[in-house]
Amino acid sequence: MPRQHHVAQLFLALTKSIGRQSANQELNWMKRATHAGCLKEMLERRVEGEPLQYILGTQPFGPLDLLTRAPILIPRPETEHWAIRLAELLQPTIERPLSVLDLCTGSGCIPLLLCHLWARGSTRAYGVDISDHAVQLAKDNAARCGIPGVASPHHFSNVYTPYLANVLDATFGDSLPRSFDVITSNPPYILLNEYHQLPRSVKDYEDPRALLGDPPDIPGTDGLAFYHAIARLVARDGVLNEGDQTMVVLEVGDKQAAAVEAILKTEGRLNRTEIWLDPWGKERVVVGRRK
Amino acid sequence: MQTLLRRIKQVPLRPYTRVYSVASTRSIPSRSKTLSVIDQLEQDGARILRTVQTRVEERDDLVASSLDDISSPEDITRAKRVKELEPLKMAWDEWQTNRQLLRETIPLLNDLDPTMRALASDEYTSLIASLSHSLSRTFPSLLVPPSPTIHMSALLELKSGVGGSEASLFLGDLLRVYLRYAQVMKWKAEIVEKNESDGGGVRDAIVEVKGVGAYDGLKWESGVHRVQRVPATESKGRVHTSTITAVVLPLAEEDAPEDELFSMDDVRVEVMRARGAGGQHVNKTESAVRLTHRPSGITVSMQDERSQHQNRRRAFQILRARLMDRKLTQDLANRRAERRDLVQTADRSAKIRTYNYVQERVTDHRLGLSLMNLTTVMEEDGLHEFIDAMQRNHDESVMEEIIQDS
Repeated sequence: MPRQHHVAQLFLALTKSIGRQSANQELNWMKRATHAGCLKEMLERRVEGEPLQYILGTQPFGPLDLLTRAPILIPRPETEHWAIRLAELLQPTIERPLSVLDLCTGSGCIPLLLCHLWARGSTRAYGVDISDHAVQLAKDNAARCGIPGVASPHHFSNVYTPYLANVLDATFGDSLPRSFDVITSNPPYILLNEYHQLPRSVKDYEDPRALLGDPPDIPGTDGLAFYHAIARLVARDGVLNEGDQTMVVLEVGDKQAAAVEAILKTEGRLNRTEIWLDPWGKERVVVGRRK
Repeated sequence: MQTLLRRIKQVPLRPYTRVYSVASTRSIPSRSKTLSVIDQLEQDGARILRTVQTRVEERDDLVASSLDDISSPEDITRAKRVKELEPLKMAWDEWQTNRQLLRETIPLLNDLDPTMRALASDEYTSLIASLSHSLSRTFPSLLVPPSPTIHMSALLELKSGVGGSEASLFLGDLLRVYLRYAQVMKWKAEIVEKNESDGGGVRDAIVEVKGVGAYDGLKWESGVHRVQRVPATESKGRVHTSTITAVVLPLAEEDAPEDELFSMDDVRVEVMRARGAGGQHVNKTESAVRLTHRPSGITVSMQDERSQHQNRRRAFQILRARLMDRKLTQDLANRRAERRDLVQTADRSAKIRTYNYVQERVTDHRLGLSLMNLTTVMEEDGLHEFIDAMQRNHDESVMEEIIQDS
């Protein structure tokens, strides 16, 4: 059976690259994802270094099952963890609704999880991304999760509208559709020198615009360009609502929390900050509140 | 039912189970004999009848002392008790009526008119059947309290024991038996975790079985299952003996209050493996989760799902089931200490069943029951014969306990 032999060879190669236990698990998941294609092809792509999530075409995120499509950033477990925590922290109702802006929205995972977990008719979310492929994926995911893109007068529902814009653009703040209670973001935060060391499955497949904290046309080497831009944005009048639930929730890279906390305090005029740890014990999220 | 009972070997017959044999005494006996048949019936069922009578008298007293106007909590409790005892009262009245009818029928068995004799004979037979049905089925089913775990779903864990790849092959066979049984019982079965072995078998598996009565039905399957057969992988035709272990845990409703079983502060949630910088730097799936419940020392690891959230949910589900299992076992032990409970608990390390392929035989060691139905157990719905027999055995023990208490 030459074909069988080939699958075995591929599997062996996979165990060498990601370890026996991980390879076993991934093989199980590939076998289950019969819609995604034939096993041999999937193994070939995986051994080449393609992320499993692109091969299978989906990634669970909390209770959601989201579409994944190259090169849009694959939702990470760290993000899943804090998004669920945020969903449990704030409990908007139809009487006390919340508006949400998700910057660098990518697949739409964060606002879609909030829209899914929060009460119907309690949430009006927007998402912004620089990539039109990301905006399209976010729209597709919203449709998959049953979250409409426009409010309907006929039934109460949470609404999520992703749109194309550049967060780093100096005029970005002028074009906001409204003011917000909650601003979330998992902006690119990887340093350029780290970027070259990344595993192939990240570097060769995921959009550098979703990863690099210092875009090529912006000076800086600390990977914090987006945090400066977000801080300046929230400091503007009329961007954040005045309310006791108002907060800015930002994912950060390893060892960036303290610096981002300082940026939010000084440039963002957010006096009260806290840091959330991820399941691996790393400082992963900076939360800023006005008071 | 009766044919099965006859097939049960070495079962110590409990006093009131002898009643079963009465129903088959249907030949028309002489007059003196017929009277003794009634006496025999009442004698065999004496203890059960006394228990029923006590309960019915209790009800009548309650009814006599209750007022039309129900106001105090005591009144409500009393009314509830009366309502609970209503079916037993009806069954008792029916028993009394049939008994009286039988007494009136007996003289007619020797009537001069042959038509009358024939009618009386028919009536005699059906009355005896009704009376013995009351004794063997109706009264016990009304006296045995409804199971407190009837609404619980089950988590079935199968692990291969001795016998290597043959044990894994058999585990795969048994897994299919349980999935089919769940289907027949109209339960919803879902494989939560399954680790296949290299030889085409299954090393271990966890199945969630949802539905009313799933736990009560499957709980009898906890223990060591032994298989004796010539493995598919054996070239010399030798019979191997292998084992697998089944553990059946109770699953409470998902939205049931957890705080009764554990406090979140007592549970340590750990993620497996280091992840370097994590976040955007890594896109390898790291979803494994381990829970440790500090007070009990129970740990649950779950890695079969692709997201941490899903594994976490599953792990908590299993933790909850294990804690519920402990609670039920503890409750049972307390009750036993309190009132000499005769109901046996399953010892999970005990061998409960043997599947002998060569003899086409399945033996349940707890019942001492051997059936030559291996093929129906493995390929059809033969399993229910064992589960039903275990259930009946249990009900009989409970009955005995109730009768001893009253």
